[in-house]
Amino acid sequence: MEISILVLSFLILISIRVPVAWSLGISALLTLLVSVDTYPALTTIAQRIVTGLDSFSILAIPFFILAGHIMNKGGIAERLIDFAKALVGSLPGGLAHVNIVAAMLFGAIAGSAGAAAAAIGGFMSDKMEESGYDKGFGVAVNVTSATTGLVIPPSNIFIIYSVASGGVSIGALFLAGYLPGILTGLLLMMVAYIWAKRKGYPTADRSSLKNVLRTFVRALPSLFLLIVVIGGIVAGIFTATEASSIAVLYCLVLAAVYREVSFKNIRPILVESSSTIAIVMLLIAMSMAMSWVLSYENIPQAVTEALLGLSDNKIMVLILINIILLIVGIFMDMTPAVLIFTPIFLPVTTALGIDPVHFGIIMVLNLCIGLCTPPVGAVLFIGIGVARTTIQKVVRPLLPLFLAMIISLILVSLFPELSLWLPRLFGF
Amino acid sequence: MKKHIDHFLEWILALLLGVMVLDVFWGVITRYILDSQSSWTDELARFLLIWLSILGAAYASGKKLHIAIDLLPQYLNERNQKILDIVITVIVLLFGIAVFLIGGLRYVYISFALGQTSPALNLPIGFVYMVLPISGLCIMYYKLLDLFIIIKNLKNGN
Repeated sequence: MEISILVLSFLILISIRVPVAWSLGISALLTLLVSVDTYPALTTIAQRIVTGLDSFSILAIPFFILAGHIMNKGGIAERLIDFAKALVGSLPGGLAHVNIVAAMLFGAIAGSAGAAAAAIGGFMSDKMEESGYDKGFGVAVNVTSATTGLVIPPSNIFIIYSVASGGVSIGALFLAGYLPGILTGLLLMMVAYIWAKRKGYPTADRSSLKNVLRTFVRALPSLFLLIVVIGGIVAGIFTATEASSIAVLYCLVLAAVYREVSFKNIRPILVESSSTIAIVMLLIAMSMAMSWVLSYENIPQAVTEALLGLSDNKIMVLILINIILLIVGIFMDMTPAVLIFTPIFLPVTTALGIDPVHFGIIMVLNLCIGLCTPPVGAVLFIGIGVARTTIQKVVRPLLPLFLAMIISLILVSLFPELSLWLPRLFGF
Repeated sequence: MKKHIDHFLEWILALLLGVMVLDVFWGVITRYILDSQSSWTDELARFLLIWLSILGAAYASGKKLHIAIDLLPQYLNERNQKILDIVITVIVLLFGIAVFLIGGLRYVYISFALGQTSPALNLPIGFVYMVLPISGLCIMYYKLLDLFIIIKNLKNGN
């Protein structure tokens, strides 16, 4: 009864274009109203919205968003693209590989797939078209590779997973993301390689070692941020939140040195960032309220029993959960999906002996695919937007790239070592 | 009027965010350089985040920045799209009034009645939650204004 009200009201609301965040809050409220009186229900939802935000870990998210906004102004994307070009530009379909590597680096630094798709795609799409690449292919490569930045740390979504899971170590999650993220990137490059060979896309001359070094040195200050943030968190010098505030100041200094940001445009950056932050934070607050209502209605227990009733085989349950998450990802943005489904699935996977860090990586990698599919794939639409093309042109080249992402997901699901080896190496 | 409110909110949001960065950074400095972390930085940062998020939600709502999915509406004609816009606006308006304004006010009242204060800053916690009804009022203003504009356009269209 309650669950059908929740699901139905949510689907109706989002399909008539009520903003997703409000839809989550409204269906949470409607569900609660079945069993609780009106005024206490209103107060409870209000309380859940606020307490959902009341966490020191979540603070890292606005800071990384702010750092990303400063970076977008700071000429960092260009430097990373130049470095990627020197590295992989001479492979068949060179510009596609440049896009993938630059998006991995930028996505890692900015911690947002949307920012990576916009910054790198904005540069690369015209260049690829000039060189005779099919535009749809360029966009497909750009959006799929942009999502790898969510798996390669630092990454906001792992902070959200850490909160949703009740405190899985952010440092361990960050380290666990490296190999799966890089694996996905390599598989995407393989697809791009085959596609480029078949279409006969142009190849650039091999870069001299001197050029590789020169571009590396230019990109170094931006890459150094990764070392400060990840190194600091892993070594236990500071928390993810403190690291994110250091990232903000580091980006400010860097942008000031590059002379792309001056004291005068700090306020516009703060305003612009605070509206992005508000959008994300409302989504988080409402998802937390929804998640609370779900556990109030004992949904996680019901799902655990149902899933374990179907099978107690680790692999079977993982396959089942992966299929459910793929479908969820098509209709729901990553942040609410992680906040709502982590408390539902984590008890099942933990009961079967799957490491919570491993499961976090599986979940994020899985939901990355949904970011590139219509109708809600935020990254897909950003990529299409910056390249000024249509979705019809992108669908065909997206298919083999999806296959690469799914193969990566299967490998990461089957082999826990891919995720857990690095964090164990560092003693997590 | 809307411009003034937008501008006012922009200033406050920028200020909240700026102070938040400096506050957390100060926490790091006191811990490493002064060797005794001040106890209030964590707490203040969390409170600032609540204000930034809830007040920002109203601002983003006024600017229509919250993400929505365009699935069904593209099949509607212009008139029906406007009618749908009215429905959406009313839904958000009602939620804003019910949860943010009424629920929020009750939550603030309960917190003050129980005399809850924050551990480090010793601040009555009701002041933190006060952002809910304030944001509720802003949402109400923005959404009533939206309704007014849509209905005016709908009438002019005919």
